[in-house]
Amino acid sequence: MIPEIGLTLLIVSSTLSFTLSFITIVGIKLNSKYLLSYTKPLTTLMCLTLISSILSLAYCFLVNDFSVAYVANNSNTQLATLYKVAAVWGSHEGSMLFWVVAIAVWATFIINRAPVTDQYFHQKLVAVAALLILGFCLFLLFTSSPFTRLLPGIPIEGRDLNPILQDIGLVIHPPLLFLGYVGLTICFAAAVAALLSGGLSQQYARYLQPWAILAWVFLTGGNAFGSWWAYNELGWGGWWFWDPVENASFIPWLVSTAMVHSILLTAKRGILGSCSIFLTIMAFSLSLLGSFLVRSGVVQSVHAFASDPTRGVSILILLIVFSGSAMALFAQRTSIKAAPMTFSLLSKESLILFGNMLLVIAAISVLLGTCYPLIFEVITGQTISVGAPYFNSIFIPIAALIFLLMGLAPLQNWQHSAKMRKPLILAAVCMLMALIITLVTRDTFSFWLLLGLFSSLWIISATGLALVQRIAFKDYELGTGKDSSSLRFYAMCFAHLGVAISILGVTLVSNFESEELLRMGPGQGKTLAGYSFIYDETQAVERNSYTAIQAQIRVLDNQNQFVTYLYPQRQTFKTNGMEMSAAGIHSGFLGDLYISMGQKLTNKRGLNDNEYLIRISYKPLVSWIWLGALFMMLSGLVIVFSTSKSVVPMPSLTLKYREHTNELA
Amino acid sequence: MNWHNGTMNGALRFKQLTQNVLSIVLILLLLLFCVTATAQDTLAPTHYTHEQKRDIGFQIARELRCPMAVNQNLFDSQSKIASELKGQIFLMLDEGQSKVAIIDFMVLRYGEKIRYMPALSSHTFILWFIPIILVLLAIIGLFFFVQPTLKAQKLTQDSPHD
Repeated sequence: MIPEIGLTLLIVSSTLSFTLSFITIVGIKLNSKYLLSYTKPLTTLMCLTLISSILSLAYCFLVNDFSVAYVANNSNTQLATLYKVAAVWGSHEGSMLFWVVAIAVWATFIINRAPVTDQYFHQKLVAVAALLILGFCLFLLFTSSPFTRLLPGIPIEGRDLNPILQDIGLVIHPPLLFLGYVGLTICFAAAVAALLSGGLSQQYARYLQPWAILAWVFLTGGNAFGSWWAYNELGWGGWWFWDPVENASFIPWLVSTAMVHSILLTAKRGILGSCSIFLTIMAFSLSLLGSFLVRSGVVQSVHAFASDPTRGVSILILLIVFSGSAMALFAQRTSIKAAPMTFSLLSKESLILFGNMLLVIAAISVLLGTCYPLIFEVITGQTISVGAPYFNSIFIPIAALIFLLMGLAPLQNWQHSAKMRKPLILAAVCMLMALIITLVTRDTFSFWLLLGLFSSLWIISATGLALVQRIAFKDYELGTGKDSSSLRFYAMCFAHLGVAISILGVTLVSNFESEELLRMGPGQGKTLAGYSFIYDETQAVERNSYTAIQAQIRVLDNQNQFVTYLYPQRQTFKTNGMEMSAAGIHSGFLGDLYISMGQKLTNKRGLNDNEYLIRISYKPLVSWIWLGALFMMLSGLVIVFSTSKSVVPMPSLTLKYREHTNELA
Repeated sequence: MNWHNGTMNGALRFKQLTQNVLSIVLILLLLLFCVTATAQDTLAPTHYTHEQKRDIGFQIARELRCPMAVNQNLFDSQSKIASELKGQIFLMLDEGQSKVAIIDFMVLRYGEKIRYMPALSSHTFILWFIPIILVLLAIIGLFFFVQPTLKAQKLTQDSPHD
């Protein structure tokens, strides 16, 4: 009964979304206050039906209703309650439903908090969002309904939730990423609404800014959490592999970073509105394209799950319809003749603009590398791989250019170029320091190390200088006082410092990681990076969902003081026999000790076969990668909350609206 | 007065020009660095110390794809064939073979797909060509878009003096 109610609610909400967009569009066309008065209640109603729909799916999970195919495929009576809830978005159908519900919630929030002065813009936004929801709902209903029943052969026991997903990291990572995609969807709706209202004005950009930053915060969190989880769980020691699935979420992040900066430019200076719109449309399209790549299974990935070619085609159709129509509208409404750019080549505007271009180029390059094997295979019939070494060789130089601009931009003035003497001296000093560190710490010269060190030193010192200048300027100009624009400037600086922290983590872990790959058995030991690792014994572990063997490895520091025990595991899941390895990690501020356990090795003489292939690493500063991401997210949140309080409609628009309402009345 | 203003503007223009040139030179230098860096690590000695062997061996294992596992490199993969190939790499390093020779050997045995860094050929040059061209276009585009308005601005600045 409950699943049918859920399905009905889904159907009802798709009709509601159609009605909503239809009524709103007609209402705006006819200037009918009466019709438009329906927008708000309809949005709320649609949101409520969608929430009820996903709640009924959650209920099916909680009561183990295995007659529902989605539940039977992704849950199990043995599964812990927390994971049953997480399983709602654990696979394809549920995650799409989650996406739709979150769009509706976000849209409802926007329309109910919309200032009276710009109702039309917000109503158009909701109308577009409703059309998107309609598209997603139809996609769900026709190709991947989460409420399909398995009748009459109801399985007694469900297949399990994918073992990889049974981890706290995976309870948090997908929803964060989806919320990021939802944010991009909302921004997309706003961009289309702006196009329908004659372009992204400064005022619209101000409305859009907090949503865009919030979307970016979620995307940052999703990416960082995903990488953190892969590092902890997958047992292959990496935190980033340029895997297609990782790229699929990283590309939208790159473009949304450009989008955020472009919208900021529009909100602050009223320029490059069409550029912001274009980037917003791009970001949303790339998030859909990413979903397509992941869900259709056209790419080979370590993280691949829930792939099915038929869904891929439907996502592709959604992508073509949504992005195609938005692009057509964009082409129609935006004139090629750009507004004059009245700023010099080294002003803040042009540096940000150039940075955005480079971010988009980086995204395009990553996309090219991700898709090239597919294209290549179609054209020539041969297979090639494009992997981490290629992406590093292309991405890092482009990123280094971006970092150069990132340090410089906060130091420059709007419109005019400031004196370049200070930044140039600073850059020279950073370069010198990086060069000295590179030459002292390594026998062979490593260019990548130099580049990484220089980038992080440069961003830290330049951002520090910008902060100092701003504080001095404020004391001089305004005395003291907490105005939100200063707060936002500080938050921006901290976000940039977060990037520098991440770069430092990445650089150090890639250049100074020490590792060994060796066979180890009870009683054997190894020293690495000043630590001694002693294999005590092999233990058997029994958990709810898996059995495992684990090695107990004692770690001593160079004074032979006990540091910790590490327990790398090889897990075998009970329900589907899938094998996974979980690393044993001792995290520290300055570095992690990392051990993963490989295959059991047989001795040639067959005497002692209790040995395993063990990988021991010391990873300096690896946790800084995620610490930096945390910095970025928190600063982003600060900006979101300080902006959403201070959005005051500009007087000219207020007047316009008054005229408009007078006409209506 | 007029003459004086002219030199002022000239000096200003010259300063701006040097700044622009300086920034271009910086960018180009960076690009040059990147190109040389990617080209540098092909030469290798024929006899390795233990540490060198480990580092180069791990490096090679990271650049090759495991034939069994789905998108994992030899180093990370825990499949049987990956262990064997890792053994093969170290065997060849013991023989004193270079990194290039070892990778070529693997490609001969398992095909182009084993290479995570695709070999530069007429089929794959586009992978490097497009990003580089795009960066250059962005730089040129920026100059084109921003420069004319600079002149216009200067004209408006100049007009009051005349």
